[in-house]
Amino acid sequence: MTNPFEHRRPTELEDKAHAEAVRHFSEHLKQFPASRTAVERLERDADKIALAANRAAAKPTPKQNLIQADDGAQWHQSVDLLENIHFCHRPISYGAEYAVVEHFPARGTNEIWNRGWNASEVLKSFTQGQRQALQVWTDDLTAQVQEFLSEKFPGQDLSRVADAFIYKCTTQAVSKQHSLTHGHEQKISRGVWI
Amino acid sequence: METMPNNETPAEAPTIPKPPERLAYSIQEAADMLGVNYFSVYRLIQRGKLKPCRALRGKLLVPRTELLKLLATE
Repeated sequence: MTNPFEHRRPTELEDKAHAEAVRHFSEHLKQFPASRTAVERLERDADKIALAANRAAAKPTPKQNLIQADDGAQWHQSVDLLENIHFCHRPISYGAEYAVVEHFPARGTNEIWNRGWNASEVLKSFTQGQRQALQVWTDDLTAQVQEFLSEKFPGQDLSRVADAFIYKCTTQAVSKQHSLTHGHEQKISRGVWI
Repeated sequence: METMPNNETPAEAPTIPKPPERLAYSIQEAADMLGVNYFSVYRLIQRGKLKPCRALRGKLLVPRTELLKLLATE
Protein backbone atom coordinates (compact mmCIF):
# COMPACT_ATOMS: atom_id res chain seq x y z
CA MET A 1 0.00 0.00 0.00
CA THR A 2 1.32 3.45 -0.87
CA ASN A 3 0.46 6.85 0.52
CA PRO A 4 -2.08 8.39 -1.88
CA PHE A 5 -0.84 11.87 -0.98
CA GLU A 6 2.70 11.06 -2.04
CA HIS A 7 2.21 11.96 -5.71
CA ARG A 8 -0.55 14.56 -5.49
CA ARG A 9 -0.86 16.95 -2.61
CA PRO A 10 -4.12 16.86 -0.60
CA THR A 11 -6.67 19.57 -1.24
CA GLU A 12 -7.69 21.87 1.58
CA LEU A 13 -10.81 19.78 2.20
CA GLU A 14 -8.82 16.54 2.20
CA ASP A 15 -6.39 18.07 4.67
CA LYS A 16 -9.23 19.06 6.97
CA ALA A 17 -10.96 15.68 6.65
CA HIS A 18 -7.71 13.84 7.35
CA ALA A 19 -7.08 15.91 10.47
CA GLU A 20 -10.61 15.16 11.70
CA ALA A 21 -10.19 11.45 11.06
CA VAL A 22 -6.87 11.42 12.91
CA ARG A 23 -8.51 13.14 15.86
CA HIS A 24 -11.57 10.87 15.87
CA PHE A 25 -9.64 7.61 15.54
CA SER A 26 -6.68 8.58 17.70
CA GLU A 27 -7.01 5.48 19.88
CA HIS A 28 -6.78 3.20 16.84
CA LEU A 29 -3.72 5.16 15.74
CA LYS A 30 -2.10 4.41 19.09
CA GLN A 31 -3.16 0.78 19.44
CA PHE A 32 -2.79 -0.56 15.91
CA PRO A 33 0.93 0.20 15.46
CA ALA A 34 1.62 -1.23 18.91
CA SER A 35 -0.21 -4.45 18.08
CA ARG A 36 1.38 -4.72 14.63
CA THR A 37 4.85 -4.22 16.11
CA ALA A 38 4.16 -6.85 18.75
CA VAL A 39 3.13 -9.38 16.08
CA GLU A 40 6.20 -8.55 13.96
CA ARG A 41 8.39 -9.06 17.01
CA LEU A 42 6.77 -12.43 17.65
CA GLU A 43 7.39 -13.49 14.06
CA ARG A 44 11.01 -12.34 14.26
CA ASP A 45 11.66 -13.99 17.64
CA ALA A 46 9.67 -17.18 17.06
CA ASP A 47 12.77 -19.39 16.94
CA LYS A 48 14.18 -17.89 20.13
CA ILE A 49 10.85 -18.27 21.94
CA ALA A 50 10.49 -21.88 20.81
CA LEU A 51 14.04 -22.63 21.96
CA ALA A 52 13.40 -21.01 25.33
CA ALA A 53 10.23 -23.06 25.76
CA ASN A 54 12.04 -26.27 24.76
CA ARG A 55 14.73 -25.58 27.33
CA ALA A 56 12.17 -24.79 30.00
CA ALA A 57 10.29 -27.99 29.25
CA ALA A 58 13.48 -30.01 29.57
CA LYS A 59 14.08 -29.08 33.18
CA PRO A 60 11.90 -29.10 36.29
CA THR A 61 9.92 -25.87 36.61
CA PRO A 62 9.01 -24.31 39.96
CA LYS A 63 5.36 -24.36 40.95
CA GLN A 64 4.89 -20.57 41.11
CA ASN A 65 4.59 -20.29 37.34
CA LEU A 66 1.74 -22.77 37.12
CA ILE A 67 -1.61 -21.74 35.68
CA GLN A 68 -4.77 -23.76 35.34
CA ALA A 69 -6.25 -23.57 31.86
CA ASP A 70 -9.79 -24.22 30.69
CA ASP A 71 -8.86 -27.82 29.81
CA GLY A 72 -8.40 -28.50 33.52
CA ALA A 73 -4.68 -29.15 33.15
CA GLN A 74 -1.90 -27.18 34.80
CA TRP A 75 0.54 -25.44 32.50
CA HIS A 76 3.94 -23.89 33.17
CA GLN A 77 4.31 -20.37 31.79
CA SER A 78 7.45 -20.11 29.68
CA VAL A 79 7.38 -16.79 27.83
CA ASP A 80 5.06 -13.78 27.64
CA LEU A 81 3.93 -13.42 24.04
CA LEU A 82 1.51 -10.48 24.24
CA GLU A 83 -0.40 -8.79 27.01
CA ASN A 84 -2.18 -11.58 28.95
CA ILE A 85 -0.99 -14.22 26.47
CA HIS A 86 1.64 -16.73 27.49
CA PHE A 87 3.52 -19.53 25.82
CA CYS A 88 3.21 -22.53 28.14
CA HIS A 89 4.31 -26.12 28.40
CA ARG A 90 3.44 -29.17 30.45
CA PRO A 91 5.18 -32.49 30.82
CA ILE A 92 3.57 -35.52 29.25
CA SER A 93 4.70 -39.13 29.41
CA TYR A 94 6.78 -38.92 26.23
CA GLY A 95 8.08 -35.35 26.34
CA ALA A 96 6.28 -32.02 26.52
CA GLU A 97 3.16 -30.39 25.17
CA TYR A 98 3.10 -26.68 24.30
CA ALA A 99 0.23 -24.23 24.23
CA VAL A 100 -0.56 -20.58 23.83
CA VAL A 101 -2.78 -19.59 26.74
CA GLU A 102 -4.68 -16.32 27.09
CA HIS A 103 -5.79 -14.94 30.42
CA PHE A 104 -9.18 -13.20 30.33
CA PRO A 105 -9.34 -10.69 33.18
CA ALA A 106 -13.10 -10.14 32.76
CA ARG A 107 -13.79 -13.84 33.31
CA GLY A 108 -10.74 -14.78 35.31
CA THR A 109 -10.13 -17.73 33.02
CA ASN A 110 -7.13 -19.05 31.12
CA GLU A 111 -8.06 -20.20 27.66
CA ILE A 112 -5.96 -22.30 25.32
CA TRP A 113 -5.53 -20.82 21.85
CA ASN A 114 -3.75 -23.71 20.29
CA ARG A 115 -1.58 -26.60 21.44
CA GLY A 116 0.76 -29.24 20.11
CA TRP A 117 3.96 -31.19 20.65
CA ASN A 118 6.12 -28.97 18.46
CA ALA A 119 6.80 -25.56 20.02
CA SER A 120 7.68 -23.95 16.69
CA GLU A 121 4.50 -25.16 15.02
CA VAL A 122 2.31 -23.98 17.90
CA LEU A 123 3.93 -20.53 17.74
CA LYS A 124 3.67 -20.37 13.98
CA SER A 125 -0.03 -21.14 14.06
CA PHE A 126 -0.54 -18.51 16.75
CA THR A 127 1.31 -15.76 14.86
CA GLN A 128 -0.65 -16.57 11.69
CA GLY A 129 -3.83 -16.02 13.70
CA GLN A 130 -2.50 -12.68 14.91
CA ARG A 131 -1.83 -11.60 11.31
CA GLN A 132 -5.38 -12.50 10.37
CA ALA A 133 -6.73 -10.55 13.35
CA LEU A 134 -4.73 -7.50 12.23
CA GLN A 135 -6.33 -7.84 8.79
CA VAL A 136 -9.82 -8.01 10.35
CA TRP A 137 -8.91 -4.81 12.22
CA THR A 138 -7.64 -3.08 9.06
CA ASP A 139 -10.80 -3.97 7.11
CA ASP A 140 -13.05 -2.79 9.91
CA LEU A 141 -11.12 0.43 10.44
CA THR A 142 -11.34 1.17 6.72
CA ALA A 143 -15.13 0.81 6.91
CA GLN A 144 -15.27 2.96 10.04
CA VAL A 145 -13.20 5.75 8.49
CA GLN A 146 -15.26 5.71 5.29
CA GLU A 147 -18.46 5.92 7.32
CA PHE A 148 -17.08 8.77 9.44
CA LEU A 149 -15.99 10.78 6.41
CA SER A 150 -19.23 10.30 4.51
CA GLU A 151 -21.26 11.44 7.52
CA LYS A 152 -18.99 14.39 8.30
CA PHE A 153 -18.52 15.52 4.69
CA PRO A 154 -21.58 14.28 2.80
CA GLY A 155 -21.39 14.18 -0.97
CA GLN A 156 -17.59 14.56 -1.11
CA ASP A 157 -15.21 12.01 -2.57
CA LEU A 158 -12.71 11.54 0.24
CA SER A 159 -11.49 8.09 -0.74
CA ARG A 160 -7.89 9.36 -0.84
CA VAL A 161 -8.27 10.55 2.75
CA ALA A 162 -9.51 7.14 3.89
CA ASP A 163 -6.62 5.44 2.07
CA ALA A 164 -4.09 7.89 3.52
CA PHE A 165 -5.45 7.32 7.01
CA ILE A 166 -5.19 3.54 6.74
CA TYR A 167 -1.70 3.92 5.28
CA LYS A 168 -0.70 6.06 8.24
CA CYS A 169 -2.24 3.63 10.73
CA THR A 170 -0.71 0.49 9.25
CA THR A 171 2.77 1.85 8.60
CA GLN A 172 3.61 4.37 11.28
CA ALA A 173 6.10 3.48 13.97
CA VAL A 174 4.92 2.65 17.45
CA SER A 175 5.56 5.03 20.33
CA LYS A 176 7.34 3.48 23.29
CA GLN A 177 4.55 4.06 25.78
CA HIS A 178 2.11 2.05 23.67
CA SER A 179 4.23 -1.02 23.18
CA LEU A 180 2.20 -4.16 23.93
CA THR A 181 5.18 -6.24 24.84
CA HIS A 182 6.73 -4.27 27.65
CA GLY A 183 9.79 -6.14 28.86
CA HIS A 184 9.28 -8.83 26.24
CA GLU A 185 12.80 -8.77 24.80
CA GLN A 186 14.36 -8.86 28.22
CA LYS A 187 12.39 -11.95 29.21
CA ILE A 188 13.37 -13.82 26.08
CA SER A 189 17.04 -12.95 26.38
CA ARG A 190 16.96 -14.37 29.87
CA GLY A 191 15.37 -17.51 28.51
CA VAL A 192 12.49 -18.46 30.74
CA TRP A 193 11.09 -17.51 34.08
CA ILE A 194 13.01 -19.18 36.83
CA MET B 1 -30.98 27.81 68.50
CA GLU B 2 -34.41 26.58 67.57
CA THR B 3 -35.01 25.13 64.26
CA MET B 4 -38.19 25.33 62.32
CA PRO B 5 -40.09 22.05 62.19
CA ASN B 6 -39.93 20.54 58.83
CA ASN B 7 -43.46 19.74 57.80
CA GLU B 8 -42.64 19.09 54.22
CA THR B 9 -43.07 15.54 53.07
CA PRO B 10 -40.18 14.31 50.97
CA ALA B 11 -40.90 14.80 47.33
CA GLU B 12 -40.89 11.71 45.22
CA ALA B 13 -37.79 11.39 43.15
CA PRO B 14 -38.60 11.89 39.50
CA THR B 15 -38.44 8.63 37.64
CA ILE B 16 -36.06 8.72 34.72
CA PRO B 17 -37.13 6.43 31.94
CA LYS B 18 -34.56 3.73 31.41
CA PRO B 19 -33.16 3.77 27.87
CA PRO B 20 -33.79 0.57 25.96
CA GLU B 21 -30.84 -1.81 25.99
CA ARG B 22 -28.63 -1.59 22.94
CA LEU B 23 -28.68 -4.57 20.61
CA ALA B 24 -25.10 -4.17 19.41
CA TYR B 25 -21.93 -2.28 20.23
CA SER B 26 -18.97 -0.94 18.30
CA ILE B 27 -15.59 -2.63 18.69
CA GLN B 28 -14.43 0.22 20.93
CA GLU B 29 -17.45 -0.15 23.20
CA ALA B 30 -17.06 -3.93 23.32
CA ALA B 31 -13.38 -3.54 24.25
CA ASP B 32 -14.27 -1.12 27.04
CA MET B 33 -16.97 -3.40 28.41
CA LEU B 34 -14.69 -6.44 28.39
CA GLY B 35 -11.77 -4.47 29.81
CA VAL B 36 -9.43 -5.40 26.97
CA ASN B 37 -7.70 -3.52 24.15
CA TYR B 38 -9.07 -3.33 20.60
CA PHE B 39 -6.73 -6.04 19.34
CA SER B 40 -8.13 -8.53 21.85
CA VAL B 41 -11.64 -7.98 20.47
CA TYR B 42 -10.44 -8.45 16.87
CA ARG B 43 -8.61 -11.60 17.98
CA LEU B 44 -11.79 -12.95 19.57
CA ILE B 45 -13.57 -12.27 16.28
CA GLN B 46 -10.81 -13.93 14.26
CA ARG B 47 -11.05 -17.02 16.47
CA GLY B 48 -14.82 -17.16 16.18
CA LYS B 49 -15.33 -16.53 19.89
CA LEU B 50 -17.29 -13.37 19.10
CA LYS B 51 -19.54 -13.39 16.07
CA PRO B 52 -19.94 -9.84 14.82
CA CYS B 53 -22.55 -8.44 12.49
CA ARG B 54 -21.95 -5.76 9.88
CA ALA B 55 -23.51 -2.33 9.70
CA LEU B 56 -24.55 -0.91 6.33
CA ARG B 57 -21.08 0.27 5.32
CA GLY B 58 -19.36 -2.88 6.50
CA LYS B 59 -18.36 -1.68 9.95
CA LEU B 60 -18.30 -4.48 12.52
CA LEU B 61 -20.73 -4.46 15.42
CA VAL B 62 -20.73 -6.89 18.32
CA PRO B 63 -24.22 -8.06 19.30
CA ARG B 64 -25.01 -7.75 22.99
CA THR B 65 -25.97 -11.44 23.06
CA GLU B 66 -22.47 -12.37 21.85
CA LEU B 67 -20.84 -10.41 24.66
CA LEU B 68 -23.10 -12.04 27.25
CA LYS B 69 -22.42 -15.47 25.77
CA LEU B 70 -18.67 -14.88 25.90
CA LEU B 71 -18.77 -13.79 29.51
CA ALA B 72 -20.99 -16.71 30.52
CA THR B 73 -18.89 -19.36 28.79
CA GLU B 74 -16.70 -21.43 31.02
